Amino acid sequence: MPHRMTRETELAIPSELGYEQVVMASAAAVARRMGFAPDRIDDLKTAVAEACLNAIEHGNQSDVNRTVNVVLSEQADRLVVNVADQGIGRMPSRAPAPGQGSRHRGWGLFLIQNLMDEVEIVPASLSGNRIRMVMRRSR
Amino acid sequence: MDKQVQVNLRQQGSLPILEFVGEMTTIAEDSIQAAYRQINLGGYNQIALDFAKCGYINSAGIATLIGMVTQARRAGHQLFAYGLTPHHQKIFRMVGLADYMLICDSEADVLARLKP
Repeated sequence: MPHRMTRETELAIPSELGYEQVVMASAAAVARRMGFAPDRIDDLKTAVAEACLNAIEHGNQSDVNRTVNVVLSEQADRLVVNVADQGIGRMPSRAPAPGQGSRHRGWGLFLIQNLMDEVEIVPASLSGNRIRMVMRRSR
Repeated sequence: MDKQVQVNLRQQGSLPILEFVGEMTTIAEDSIQAAYRQINLGGYNQIALDFAKCGYINSAGIATLIGMVTQARRAGHQLFAYGLTPHHQKIFRMVGLADYMLICDSEADVLARLKP
C-alpha cells in the first residue's frame, strides 16, 4: 500500500485585521491543489477567515505583537486547519446564539460550525485558544 | 490593512440604491449607517442594495447589515439585494438576512419587481 504523506503548510500572521485574507488565499490554494470544488473552497475561505478574526480580535486582543498561527494539513481524505492564538482573551467553547452578547463573535463561530464538516474549539489554556476545522473530500 | 467599504448612494428612477464597494467589515458600520440615514430621510419605501463590487463580507459586516435591515423593517422599507456571489447568497440565507430582503439577479431584475 503506498504511503500517503501528510503535507503541512504553516503560517504566522500578525494580529491585525485584514491579515486573515493572507490565510484565506493560502487555504484556498491548498484546497485547490487537493481538488476541492469551488463552492467548498469558498466555504473554507469564510471559515478560515472567521477563525483568524476570532484569534486576532478576541484571543490576541488585536495586539499586533502577537501572532495567529495556522497549520493547514493535507490528509488523504480531508484538509485539517488549526488556528491558534496566544490566549490573552478566552474564546467560548461553542458559538453563542448569533446576535446575543458580542454580535461579531456569535456570527463568526456560527458560520464556522455551519460551513465545516468538523469543528473543535479548545479555549485558552497556557498555550492559547485553538480552533480545529476539518473539510472532508466527499461530503 | 483593513480597507473601509465605500457606500455610494445613487438613484434609478424612484429607487434609491446603496452600492457597496470594497470590503464589508467592522469598519463599514459608520458608512453604512450614514448612507441609510440619508435614505430614511427621503421617505422611500423600497431600497436596493448593490453588492456587485463588494468582494469580501465577514461576520462583522454581516452584523452591520443585520442592524441596518432591522432598522429598515421597522421603518417599513422593502429591501432588494443583487450582485451577490452564490457563496454570499448562501451566507445570507444561513444567517437569516435573506428572510428580510429579496435576493435578485441584477439591477434590471429588481426594477422589474418594483411595485408601481
